[in-house]
Amino acid sequence: MTITETSDGSITIVALCGTIDSSTAPELHKSPAIADTLRSVVIDLEKVDFLDSSGLGALVGTLRLKQEAKAAVLLSCMNPRVRKVFDITGTVKLFHIFDDTSAAVEYAATHNEG
Amino acid sequence: MKTLIAIKEQYHTWVHEAFPAMHPLLLPLCNKPFIEYLIDFAILAGSREVRLLSDGQLTEVEEHCGTGSRWGIELSYANLHPADDQQQLLDKNRKFCGGGRTMILTGYNFISYNKQKSYLDLATIATDTPIASCPGGTITLKGPPESGASEKSPLAPFSITPLDSVQSYFRISMETLQTGSSRYVLPGYGSEPDCSIGKNVIISKTAQIRKPVSIGDNVQILPKTIIGPSAIIGSNVVIDNGCSVSGSIIIDNTYIGENLEIDMRIAAGNTLIDPTSGVSLTMEDPHLLVGIKTWATTAILKRKTIHALAATILLVLQFIPFILLFPLLKLQGKWKDDPYMQETGLAGALAVAISLDRFPLLLKVITGKLDIIGSSSRSTCAGKHSYPDSGPLSRLAVFSYAEAEDWPVNGSDAAIVERFHAVHSTPIKDIGMTIKALINRLTKGR
Repeated sequence: MTITETSDGSITIVALCGTIDSSTAPELHKSPAIADTLRSVVIDLEKVDFLDSSGLGALVGTLRLKQEAKAAVLLSCMNPRVRKVFDITGTVKLFHIFDDTSAAVEYAATHNEG
Repeated sequence: MKTLIAIKEQYHTWVHEAFPAMHPLLLPLCNKPFIEYLIDFAILAGSREVRLLSDGQLTEVEEHCGTGSRWGIELSYANLHPADDQQQLLDKNRKFCGGGRTMILTGYNFISYNKQKSYLDLATIATDTPIASCPGGTITLKGPPESGASEKSPLAPFSITPLDSVQSYFRISMETLQTGSSRYVLPGYGSEPDCSIGKNVIISKTAQIRKPVSIGDNVQILPKTIIGPSAIIGSNVVIDNGCSVSGSIIIDNTYIGENLEIDMRIAAGNTLIDPTSGVSLTMEDPHLLVGIKTWATTAILKRKTIHALAATILLVLQFIPFILLFPLLKLQGKWKDDPYMQETGLAGALAVAISLDRFPLLLKVITGKLDIIGSSSRSTCAGKHSYPDSGPLSRLAVFSYAEAEDWPVNGSDAAIVERFHAVHSTPIKDIGMTIKALINRLTKGR
């Protein structure tokens, strides 16, 4: 899995590429923007071709930590395969999911997730 | 014009209670799934791209509706957050909407329309206020009006009605049956109006069919029965000798026993519902009324067999430790079935570490009553409000998938893990997950 971070004002876009499974999920927490619990992030999942329960756990864990610190985690550009994982596990209720990264950045900038 | 259909779970919780086996968006209204009426309306309004949004599961709907090719449209699926308002729906689907004209249907509402009229002018109306509303939702047009059509031509009438209870479901179904194929595209075949019959229907020569009536697929109507007037018979239904069904709805997969008279009722499996009061009665006698169960598929039999084999091996391995520790723990008063067995003391801690507390449950795997790995009762209860838990995703088991994973910290996390594996597991993967659960219990405790 490759992680690319770009900043857009106070929001960081974390673009993930490849597979997020038990072997790669720990890398997510090494990303500076993810590790910084005070920083709101938009996680771009467009190029994620596989997500398993460990990957999902990493994303849910990130959300929990950032929510405690009043920061936001938004997801964008899910492909149908990844969306299905969120759908069957019921985690769609936990996240705000956008089909466009710039819309997610605007939302994060104007909303305090708390 | 494009259409967003946004339906939040909060509007159809009553469906889970009244018809637990039914996905609310696929609830049949006159033998046509609810969602298809909304798609039909979007098409009549000129939409060639439709997106379904929900904060609940859409997998079953996706399997039913597919890509929309059978309607000649592009159908996509996305999720919404329970707190989203209309502006947030537009923001979250910005790429789909593309800044153009978008019709937003919100709520769990039935749209009353006429297929013989044109609703293409909806794309040209310049308004930001809802063009139709009811307590459960609205129809709103967003984005710049399209040009081309006459703005002054009168819009064909349509209205929305909340589908918020068994009563409204019954009333709307009956109204749809009465107006029939003149207003809506309804499934089935019929050589005369007000009578439609699905595929693979067997009707006895001595049965009477009284219009209006709608009969689904794979239905057997046995001798001396009287169907109708105003009867909606779902798919996979058997109506036995001498029955009469009038002014009623028989939901899919229901058997109606001999000489039963059903008038002004909804029959769903072994439940009979009074549509005026909403009171339901569960019939215990399977000769009167019962749900028709589908036989276990080969895949389920394969899973059960492999799980039983694994349970047998585990029983053999645990037999001697169980014989040694069980009497000791029983005497100390520490032996109770999981999850209440006390870990105190060396014997108790050892018994939990090697999962002896699950030993009695393994016998139930061999008899097919439990799986060796699946859902724990704890996580099932934690998420019981959610539709997927009432479906095949909940498989009670000796060990839970959450015990095999490292990250779940509470009941809702465990439910996430268990739903994931319930869909993605195979019998062989299940064995691997069982071993991981055993190792986790051995190394980390319960």
